[in-house]
Amino acid sequence: MIHHLLDTVWGQATALMYPIKRRRWVDLLVLLAGCAILYGLVVMGRQWTGQHRPMVEIDLSPLSLPKYTFFSMMRGLAAYAFSLVFTLVYAFWAAKDRRAEKLLIPLLDILQSIPVLGFMPGLVLALVAMFPHSNLGLELAAVVMIFTGQAWNMTFSLYHSLKSVPQDMQEAATVYGFSWWQRFKWVELPYGTTGLVWNSMMSMAGGWFFLMITEAFKLGDKDFRLPGLGSYMSVAVEQGNVPAMVYAILAMVIMIVFLDQVLWRPVVVWAQRFRVEETSQAEAPRSWLLKLIRRSRLIRWLEARRAHLVAGAYPPKPLPAGRPERRMSPRLRGGRWVANLALATLTVISILTAFKLLGFLHTIPVARWWDLLKAGGLTLSRVLISTFIGTLWAVPAGLAIGLSPRLSKILQPVVQVAASFPAPMLFPVVIAALAAFGVGLNYGCILLMLLGTQWYILFNVIAGAMAIPGDLREAATSFRLSRWQRMKALYLPAIFPYLVTGWVTAAGGAWNASIVAEYAEIKGQVVSTWGLGSTVSAAAYHKDLPMLAAGVMLMSTLVVVFNRLVWKPCYKLASTRYSLTK
Amino acid sequence: MADAPICELKAVQKSFDRGGGNMLRVLEDINLDIRPNEVLCLIGPSGCGKSTILRILAGLIDPTKGDVRYHGSKLDALNPGVSIVFQGFALYPWMTVEENVRTVLRAKGMPEEEVRSRADRAITLVGLEGFEEAYPRELSGGMKQRVGMARALSVDPEILFMDEPFSQVDALTAEGLRAEILDIWEDAERNPSSILMVSHDIKEVVYMADRIAVLSANPGRVRTIVDNPLPRPRDMRSPEFLRLVDQLHDIITSTELPDIQVSTVEPSLVPDMIEPLPNSQSTDILGLMEYLETQGGSSELFQVVAATHVPFEKVLASVKAAEMLDLVDTPKRMVLLTPLGTRFIRAGMEERKEIWKERLLDLKLFRVIRDMLEFHEGKLTREEVLAEIHSRLPMENPELTFETLVAWGRFGELFAYREERGVLTPE
Repeated sequence: MIHHLLDTVWGQATALMYPIKRRRWVDLLVLLAGCAILYGLVVMGRQWTGQHRPMVEIDLSPLSLPKYTFFSMMRGLAAYAFSLVFTLVYAFWAAKDRRAEKLLIPLLDILQSIPVLGFMPGLVLALVAMFPHSNLGLELAAVVMIFTGQAWNMTFSLYHSLKSVPQDMQEAATVYGFSWWQRFKWVELPYGTTGLVWNSMMSMAGGWFFLMITEAFKLGDKDFRLPGLGSYMSVAVEQGNVPAMVYAILAMVIMIVFLDQVLWRPVVVWAQRFRVEETSQAEAPRSWLLKLIRRSRLIRWLEARRAHLVAGAYPPKPLPAGRPERRMSPRLRGGRWVANLALATLTVISILTAFKLLGFLHTIPVARWWDLLKAGGLTLSRVLISTFIGTLWAVPAGLAIGLSPRLSKILQPVVQVAASFPAPMLFPVVIAALAAFGVGLNYGCILLMLLGTQWYILFNVIAGAMAIPGDLREAATSFRLSRWQRMKALYLPAIFPYLVTGWVTAAGGAWNASIVAEYAEIKGQVVSTWGLGSTVSAAAYHKDLPMLAAGVMLMSTLVVVFNRLVWKPCYKLASTRYSLTK
Repeated sequence: MADAPICELKAVQKSFDRGGGNMLRVLEDINLDIRPNEVLCLIGPSGCGKSTILRILAGLIDPTKGDVRYHGSKLDALNPGVSIVFQGFALYPWMTVEENVRTVLRAKGMPEEEVRSRADRAITLVGLEGFEEAYPRELSGGMKQRVGMARALSVDPEILFMDEPFSQVDALTAEGLRAEILDIWEDAERNPSSILMVSHDIKEVVYMADRIAVLSANPGRVRTIVDNPLPRPRDMRSPEFLRLVDQLHDIITSTELPDIQVSTVEPSLVPDMIEPLPNSQSTDILGLMEYLETQGGSSELFQVVAATHVPFEKVLASVKAAEMLDLVDTPKRMVLLTPLGTRFIRAGMEERKEIWKERLLDLKLFRVIRDMLEFHEGKLTREEVLAEIHSRLPMENPELTFETLVAWGRFGELFAYREERGVLTPE
């Protein structure tokens, strides 16, 4: 809706200004934006390399919020850049190297199930030790923690795309002698772009989830704090400063909308050309910013320069003189060596890590294990209940929105923003409200989990409802099926595959949320309830590394096992019986 | 020198690993050569490995045994003189027409000016001027295949390979494209020197080819190579043309329906001999018989093809299937309803299913499966059936046979199958 509004406003503004300024102002805007980004980066560079201060004073006045928001956003973007590079390398490697694939994919599965807190102590201690005199180590630790919330999802998406490039496209590339690099840039990457873009949006949202923790955390007796939106919120919560909390929440919403409009909209529109399916969409996404940029002469000039440079940069290689080309060039065989070496290194690291972990786990007495297991069961039941409640309301609501073009046009962007908003920022407010009503955290944390995860279900149900073919709906109408019959015969089966995706994301999110939902610090007081999430949180804050390792390991085991036993069969059922495409 | 072949296959054999150590042999002892200045066509029923031969010649896949030669020397890599026009076009949807063509030239490492001029020339050659900036999704099937042709011709190939190039293009457009590709080929000064085309359309093959290699299936072999002496340009309605079409029909039919009368229902002498199931749906068989009934109970095979607009190999599969079930008889090129077939087609649905079931149980494979079902207490997994099919019909594609088995069995209410559980149960 926002996007729509902006579009009209901008459109009219452009129409007004067109005769006067003859579009020069677009160029001015582009220049200004460039300068602003440059200035921001300089400020940030100063902060990163500045004197090492483990704990900065956070100024709670709303005037300093823009600066903090900018810092947080830049951390998120830096983490995204890391994630993108990681995704390209890791997914390509896993898709191309059969032997490495056997290690890389299960590894990715495990990494995906480890909550950010599991990475925190090791990362922070190592990176701070590496840069003892500047803030760089701490900043890097924050960026890497955000990265761990973003990367895995994107990597899986690209890996699956690379594995499913249609055979004739691959054969054409082979027949016309594409090198591996040409194949990657002309065939494989374009094929994966659509999926990668959507997953990038999801991942970026996932990265904000732990913003409060990544920017302000306690590790044993040490208190680490970086200037940013997350730490602003943390301090506000600590001091019980309600107006500051509201400002922070507003700033977060503005940042999400800003990124959506300035980054993701244009990217989504640009990625339209990589669609593979033949049918034209009912309504193509639009972006006012991309339209604007495409009007800028400055950018056009830059692009022309670039094309010119690129054309000059590749000296023409001699034409193959009738000699048959080897299917595997010597250079690729050189790459083979590098890949083998990397694989060996990775294997050694994995084994060493496993040993280290075992060493940690060894110190935990059996009785504690038993406690942990019970805590795991308790948190699992909370996760399931929150997913169930989410389904209960999100299915009818999602159907209502998805089946009505008018509603979905208005509400879908809103749901998107809601889904991107990091729910933990709302937790302190909700906990306070719950306490006022006399509800303890034992049940209350289910509501907190729900806050974070219901959107995934709603989002997917809307998408599923919108994808129900018109003729099936018309058939249901013409046979005069009642509302309930229609639900049973058409809507529920048709959205089932989407619902499964929603469940998997929601349950994963709920596990993550349990860490902050079962354990919170408000006005210097710890509010917590027993469960695996609070065990992990407490272990991290008290720097009890063996307990942290055990808790995180148990959590990721539970997630992986649950995926295997429950979600995988659901996916299979969805793709065989309830698939509408086959 | 003039007649030395450009490309040859010498005693080529190809097997595919179907998993679990099961090897499916798709090609057996293939000898084939492509000579300069000719159009060679491969024709045969589905599963005869036409496309596999094309891919081996292009160097996309390696033969299990035997040699591929290019200008006399052994080839163990991509064939440098070849470009391919694909059945499904294989265009990159994120590139415009022009970019699709330019990309393959850039991959050859040409300087940018040459890339542009060559792409322009190729686009003009196939009549795509004005469409340079269009994306493939905006084009019809015929136009897409023109892009595929422009792309293939732009690299100036010595031999142009075409893998069923017109099967996804409507009939009228295909007719035009065939003539155009021949025009381009006939220019003796320029490449391509030769064309290799895979097809399942007999008329198309007679129109295009100088030589026609007729293949048979399971495993694929070259049955015979027919010379086509008709002068060009050829008229599809001329008597000589139609005579050659008939002759080819006869050759293919005789390879597929050898005059061993399956219709005399006698238990075969070798107890474990099982006939492979032709891949045909019960509805297709019913359709064929309905058609025969309207023709007074008999028709010529090619009459059926012409009148029903069903592809030849599909009709052939249905005829084979109906003959196995003793519902039709095929003396020479005729197809006629047997008395049982006549009774079947005039009966109501109940009786039809009765007859169908009875006939199925006359086939060894169905009896085997029924016995297995009894033995396994009314439950058979897909894997168990596949394994059985593979051990008894090693030359067949077990998945396809399974599909047919299930389809026929369902129609005869012999057994039921739940796909998502992969379990076969008695009806």
